[in-house]
Amino acid sequence: MGNWKQIKGIAVAALLGTSLTLTGCGTNQADGKSDSGAAAGTTQVQFWAPFSGPDGPRMKAIVEQYNQSQAEYKVDFQIVPQSEYYKTIDLTLSSSKNDPDVLIMHGDQIPTYVEKNLLKDVTELAASTGVQPEAYSETAWQGGQIEGKQFGIPLDIHPLMFYWNKDLFQAAGLDPETPPTLWPQQFIFPTVVYQNGGELVKEGQINYNSPEAVEALTFLKDLVFSEKVSPENVQQDGEVTLFLQGKNAMHLNGPWMMEQWEKANLNYGVAPVPQLGTQQQAVFGNSHNFVIPASITDEKKLEATQDFLKYVAAHSMEWAKSGMAPTSKAVYESAEFQSMKQQPQVAKQFEYTKFSPSISNWGPVSEPLWKEVNLALLGQKDPQAALKDAADKATQLMKR
Amino acid sequence: MGKPNKSSVGSGSLVLPSSVSNRLHQVKSGKKRNGKSAFTSSLFVLPYLILFSLFLFFPILYGVWISLHEWDLLSPQHQFVGLKNYLDIFQPSSYLHDLFFSGLWNTLQFVFYSVPLLIGTGLALALLVHALPGRCKTFFRTVYFIPYSISVSVVAIIWLWILDTNSGLVNQYLMKWGLPIIPWLTNMPWAWVSLVIATVWWTIGFNMVIFITALNDVPEELYEAGALDGANGWQKLIHITLPSIKPVMLFVMITSTIASFNIYGQPFLMTRGGPGDSTSVLLMNIVDEAFKQRQLGTSAAMSLLMALMMITISIIQFKLSNKKEV
Repeated sequence: MGNWKQIKGIAVAALLGTSLTLTGCGTNQADGKSDSGAAAGTTQVQFWAPFSGPDGPRMKAIVEQYNQSQAEYKVDFQIVPQSEYYKTIDLTLSSSKNDPDVLIMHGDQIPTYVEKNLLKDVTELAASTGVQPEAYSETAWQGGQIEGKQFGIPLDIHPLMFYWNKDLFQAAGLDPETPPTLWPQQFIFPTVVYQNGGELVKEGQINYNSPEAVEALTFLKDLVFSEKVSPENVQQDGEVTLFLQGKNAMHLNGPWMMEQWEKANLNYGVAPVPQLGTQQQAVFGNSHNFVIPASITDEKKLEATQDFLKYVAAHSMEWAKSGMAPTSKAVYESAEFQSMKQQPQVAKQFEYTKFSPSISNWGPVSEPLWKEVNLALLGQKDPQAALKDAADKATQLMKR
Repeated sequence: MGKPNKSSVGSGSLVLPSSVSNRLHQVKSGKKRNGKSAFTSSLFVLPYLILFSLFLFFPILYGVWISLHEWDLLSPQHQFVGLKNYLDIFQPSSYLHDLFFSGLWNTLQFVFYSVPLLIGTGLALALLVHALPGRCKTFFRTVYFIPYSISVSVVAIIWLWILDTNSGLVNQYLMKWGLPIIPWLTNMPWAWVSLVIATVWWTIGFNMVIFITALNDVPEELYEAGALDGANGWQKLIHITLPSIKPVMLFVMITSTIASFNIYGQPFLMTRGGPGDSTSVLLMNIVDEAFKQRQLGTSAAMSLLMALMMITISIIQFKLSNKKEV
């Protein structure tokens, strides 16, 4: 019957005209590896993650260190490419066969899977095995909670960061004709809304067109059209290209961009996002969490997972090397971490990081918002009208 | 992903009616086939039949089955809903209606802009290359065919670099010459222009090679006879070349239309459906519905409707061209 599932997976993918091989492979990998290499007496733990970028080798190193540090458990680490990750997880979890024992999940995805009862409530398990809430940043720990139950054990938080090109700033100080530029790309929008004291979802209802949100979008649009801080008509990721080429003085993006700046030999500075809104300091962010599928009931495996998570909390300095900030206090409060360039700046934002609204299907529900904000920033739509259309569409989506 | 796939290339035999009908004729007029030869010939068909059933026929049937259910990817139970998914698509107030028809409209626009160019440019290039002397011919045929062998992601990256509003090659030159820069990917109708240019550059080699083959098959005597009658180049093209390559023209027309209908990779990577959702094509919407919204039932219904439309269009094209021939 295992084959039938594969065929189903392939059939679905083929029918929908998407990448058949990759979806097929996702399930294949799980099938092929689940009982390979297990020495007698060791408990094998399947661990899936989407780290197909430069962060992959970092996590791999942590897993290898863990496997060498003890003989009782063995973690088998599988990377599923980011673009296929949630598709693969969906197809695997929905059939509850060949589920991994532990996997990485972004904070904004957790509510969707919890609603479908696909994730394990680890509140008691964590307490009994000594995974302590106090060992983590409070924001991060709470980010893995839904209605008081713990579903995710945090690995890191990646909030929006503020980057600037030091060379251009210096030049701008001397020459007023070339002021610093900043393209207010659409993902800055939630940060400003939160800084204005607004919310994107209020009491379970879409709240995209609140006065705070309209103010935020108008502000961002004016940066382009009135203040002329940015050139017009910047395409998706166009501002990244400009920043990489040293033609853009200021840039807001996630901490994962660091390695690209380094490779491009940019003389850049990094800091928490400044307060652009009217009310408070806040920043929009997402997180990586360890979650366990609800189908995993084998006590030994659960123990093994918790043991591994404790090890990661204590030894995730390696993870910080990719520019990310682990949310384990043992790491981010250490002197070694604090002496790094970008990482402590990321951790500074932990306290006031705001995650996306804790609602099911945030991904698709937020899609109309990004599209409409983009239209407003391109000057093709009035902010008020754009946000109203986004809210209407999202409300329609929520009701499905 | 916007390229004719193997199966549609295979259907090329469909447009060579003379050879096919000849063979049918032979079969009919020949001796009655005995059981043994029927068995033997079905053995030859078997490998294809197995692959066809495994990878095409059963998935399609399974797709039909899915489309009759409310099939949430994450739910273990899938409720049978009959034709509800299809009816929802035609219900003007529903989310699905917007998703399907706005996507369809965008796809149709792309088909409308790209197909004439794919055929026209393909034929023009083929005539040009065909007229070249021997060694140059091979060289240029290869040169024009190279882009076709590149994957869509590379094509998208190349064109993103060329068309970038603020640092792209084209706009750099426009600025240098004091011309206003063009928002290639962020404004209408420029986004369509960019997508069509990228697609034509990418896939034109395929059509060109097909046309060159067809041109090689046009009997030289016809041109000689035309020349004796005093026909000029243009008249030869209109009255000799075009009628002679008509079946191939039909093949190219059908494959180009199908390929353009299947547009996905270029807007997905170059404009991400933007500005707003004005280049968000039907296939993008279907994939979104399936894997972002996780609604396999409705997305299966959408893709089956899309397939049905493509089949209808191909049949109409086929019928129309055949009629003119009579």
